[in-house]
Amino acid sequence: MSPPAMPLAKFVQTLELLTEEAQNSFAQASDADQLDESRVEFLGAKKGRLKLIQKDLAGIENSEKPAAGKSLNATKQAIQQAFDEAKKRLLGDQDKVVRDPKFDATLPGTKFRMGKLHPITQTINELKDIMGRLGFTPAQGPEVEDDYHNFQALNIPMSHPARDPLDNFYLSVAGKHSGAVAAGEEDNPTLMRSQTSTVQIREMERIDPPIRMVSLGRVYRPDTADWSHYPMFHQIEGLMIDKSVTLADLKTVLKLFATSYLGDEVPIRIRPSFFPFTEPSVEADYYWDGKWVEFGGAGIVDPNVLKSVGYDPEKYSGFAFGLGIERLCMIRHQITDIRYLFTNDVRFLRQF
Amino acid sequence: MIVSWDWLTDYVDLKMDHDDLVDRLTMSGLNHEGTEIVGADKAIDLEVTSNRPDCLGHIGVAREISVLYDTPMKLQFPQPPAGGKLIDDLCSVEIKSKNCFRYTARLIQGVKIGPSPDWLKDRLATIGVDSINNVVDATNYVMFEIGQPLHAFDFAKISGGKIIVRDAKKDESFVAIDHKTYSLDADMCVVADANDAAAIGGVMGGTDSEVTDSTTEVLIEAAYFDQLSVRRTARRLTLQSPSSFRFERNIDSQMLDWASRRCCELILEIAGGTLVDGCVDVGQRPPQPPVLTLRYGQLERLLGIEIPTSATNKILSDLGLNIQTIQDDAVVVEAPSWRKDLTREADLVEEVGRIYGFDKVPDDASVPMAASYRPKSDRALDRVQSVLLAAGFDEAMTPSLVPEPWSKAFSPWTDHPPLKSSQPMLGVLEKASHNIGAVDLLRRSLVPSLLEAYRINEFRSNSDIELFETAKVYLPTQGQPIPNQPLKVGLVSGRDFFFVKGIVETIVGSLSPQTQLTLEATEHGLLDPDRSGQWVIGGATLGWIGRASQAAKKLFRLRSDAVVVELDFQLLEDSMVAIAQHENQSAFQSVSRDFNFIVENSVPWDALERTVRKTGGMLLEAVDFREVFRDETKDGKTKKRILLSVTLRSGDSTLTGKEVDVVCQSIISGCEKEHAAMLLN
Repeated sequence: MSPPAMPLAKFVQTLELLTEEAQNSFAQASDADQLDESRVEFLGAKKGRLKLIQKDLAGIENSEKPAAGKSLNATKQAIQQAFDEAKKRLLGDQDKVVRDPKFDATLPGTKFRMGKLHPITQTINELKDIMGRLGFTPAQGPEVEDDYHNFQALNIPMSHPARDPLDNFYLSVAGKHSGAVAAGEEDNPTLMRSQTSTVQIREMERIDPPIRMVSLGRVYRPDTADWSHYPMFHQIEGLMIDKSVTLADLKTVLKLFATSYLGDEVPIRIRPSFFPFTEPSVEADYYWDGKWVEFGGAGIVDPNVLKSVGYDPEKYSGFAFGLGIERLCMIRHQITDIRYLFTNDVRFLRQF
Repeated sequence: MIVSWDWLTDYVDLKMDHDDLVDRLTMSGLNHEGTEIVGADKAIDLEVTSNRPDCLGHIGVAREISVLYDTPMKLQFPQPPAGGKLIDDLCSVEIKSKNCFRYTARLIQGVKIGPSPDWLKDRLATIGVDSINNVVDATNYVMFEIGQPLHAFDFAKISGGKIIVRDAKKDESFVAIDHKTYSLDADMCVVADANDAAAIGGVMGGTDSEVTDSTTEVLIEAAYFDQLSVRRTARRLTLQSPSSFRFERNIDSQMLDWASRRCCELILEIAGGTLVDGCVDVGQRPPQPPVLTLRYGQLERLLGIEIPTSATNKILSDLGLNIQTIQDDAVVVEAPSWRKDLTREADLVEEVGRIYGFDKVPDDASVPMAASYRPKSDRALDRVQSVLLAAGFDEAMTPSLVPEPWSKAFSPWTDHPPLKSSQPMLGVLEKASHNIGAVDLLRRSLVPSLLEAYRINEFRSNSDIELFETAKVYLPTQGQPIPNQPLKVGLVSGRDFFFVKGIVETIVGSLSPQTQLTLEATEHGLLDPDRSGQWVIGGATLGWIGRASQAAKKLFRLRSDAVVVELDFQLLEDSMVAIAQHENQSAFQSVSRDFNFIVENSVPWDALERTVRKTGGMLLEAVDFREVFRDETKDGKTKKRILLSVTLRSGDSTLTGKEVDVVCQSIISGCEKEHAAMLLN
């Protein structure tokens, strides 16, 4: 259905009337709200009067449509101009810079509180990152381990002091009456792992050489907590196995590691030590601030360890090294008591 | 091990200066821990690793120096003169305990107990050992000389002159030379006469047979006790001594006779008397030292440096290894009795390497490049942490073991009892929690530990206490010795329930925007029955959320409300979309519509939302909850109003009013049909 026909003259007259009304209305507005009301009345996008009149355009004879359109545009411009003038009168020139003497830009910004990763995690991430760049992929293993993976496979004999029941968290099932049976087989009891070297064994059991892995995590030894001891702490352990890995490769990797960690070329040295799972065993030190600082223990993987996971020690060799994370973290951040790390005071945690 | 500079000069010339010596010793395995000046002497503290008991005597350290500086050892075989009587007529020894391998005894008659000469006192003083009397000092001196512990008995107190080395009787009581009474057990080994124990083998002597001023006959014991037995005994009785320390690290049974002779020689010199002829020597003979082959090629293969064959042979020979044959590519040697640690080729590689010098090993080898991978779990953890850090949560680390009340308080993942440690963790509880119980159970949830951390922070007047921890829990499984040890993410927060809930939703969304996460009702004593729930993803339990119940607040002594969460990390990791895939975004405008529905209180938001989504059809882009409120006067007590917005958008055109109306009508009638929802206008 087409709208009723409308003569051009009437259309133009209506427009002129509207222009006049709009100009008066904008001119009389005494504040922004009034002006806005008038704007909605005349220029509103949906029900503004100009919009409504626009619909009448459809009823104009086709031959007269160009003239009608022209007139409509002129009206639009006139009303818009009247509005802009009124706006300028009431709100001032939009392009002119207006100073606001009440605004203080030095008031504090609206802060939002970010949480912090634990300093141990930050240290671990840093070390993991460095090792990743050296080609070492992270590996994981269980924290509750069996005697085999924690000791036997690592060439730690029964007579070794590390296996003393008083120096380990051996486990049993709680709730049984006294003399509870230890969890696990009698000759292979379970315990909280006392070192991350267990992951070496698990990883070598899982895959064949070449291996470059780094394992990180919690380890447990029943020391009474004091400023420098805690019965739970973290270690990082690196392992590299291939056809011809030597002590020179170990020293090189440790040097790269120390240099990356400290952000500067540092001298390192290795000196003989003893660990059951490496032969030769060494302690690595780096030279920092005029003195040698202990870095960690390392060595060439003992042939017995290779044999225990079914590797042929005549074919493969490798090195392993381990560091205590807490010590590195405490030196790095000048933390004076290891217990602060596990008290979780948020003021402590937010420092890092 | 503290060594005296002066004492070392008995065995080896020390022409080097002190700093050079301790540096060389450090770099060859005896780490220098410090030096103190004692009178005219120097006390040098060296760290001796447990594989080198030979260096627990001055002679062992002197041997190392002699090799390092290529200077000869001065060592004589002690030959104390013996008198007329035969020891077998006076004394006998019987070993009845499996914890004593060998026992030797010598007897000296007519000694005069008195103070030691100054030179002896001075040397003992340098290494921090008190002088007792000449005979006791002589036994100590020889122990610190050769590393073999010795004991002197007042022979007159040994009933019948018969020594019986036996296992202690259960609850056998023993008065040691420290005048304390010890209760022994059957795993301990004692040196007794026909009636009573006279010493705890390898650990400590007794008062009854102690050498005193009136002693005239001394029996000198040089024995070989089992290292494990000595360690167990010394530890159980807390009677660690230089003697037990050496037995624990294993002694050289070949040197028993040397040590016994040397001790007698010294006693004769400083306390007089006559050595009875002969020696009682019972038990096992020392084993034949192993014959080892070192292939020269192994040195370069493992150390990465070339060491000349001549240098290799000289080092082995200097270290006391007896070279049997030298082949083109290998050398065959026999290890000396004092080096029980040398049993394999690998041990010889280390010996040659450490003496040749690890400083000659280069630190610029060309290690080949290798690719490394970031595990998926690390990537997922990163995303979880990012959300938590952005939300203001600080990362906590709490001990893996907990006391029983905490363990009992919350165990949502398993009903199996926790694993229990043979030993508690000591010193890990704050003072205020000391009487809560022994910290000896492997935790099955992170939540109790986090509530304790919350309490500590609350007590210290800290504000904005929001903590998370990612750690393993230990869930025993039937028939498996090693428990399941999944990684969990735990949260505790002082903010309200919905803030914390939103964090979990954000975490899940950040891993995978498409994952449907629902919250179902749950019941746990630790959680408020209304403000709690169990998270479910695709039928699997993701975890729990809840405000701490009144009971929990009481148990953990909390002053304010705390909301806790525990999530299974594996499920989060499994849900992760590792690499997000692009979808075309519509270039057209969206249209929003608000709906204000009146529904029964029993209609939960998530059910209403599901209906809106279902009935909204293809054009529905989002459904957003705005608010819920009640107008009891208009709607009655059982109703609530839920205000929600929907966003509609089409991928190929701007939506017309008609299209929007169709969708709105579908939503309205759907909600009316499924939830009796009434649209308020």
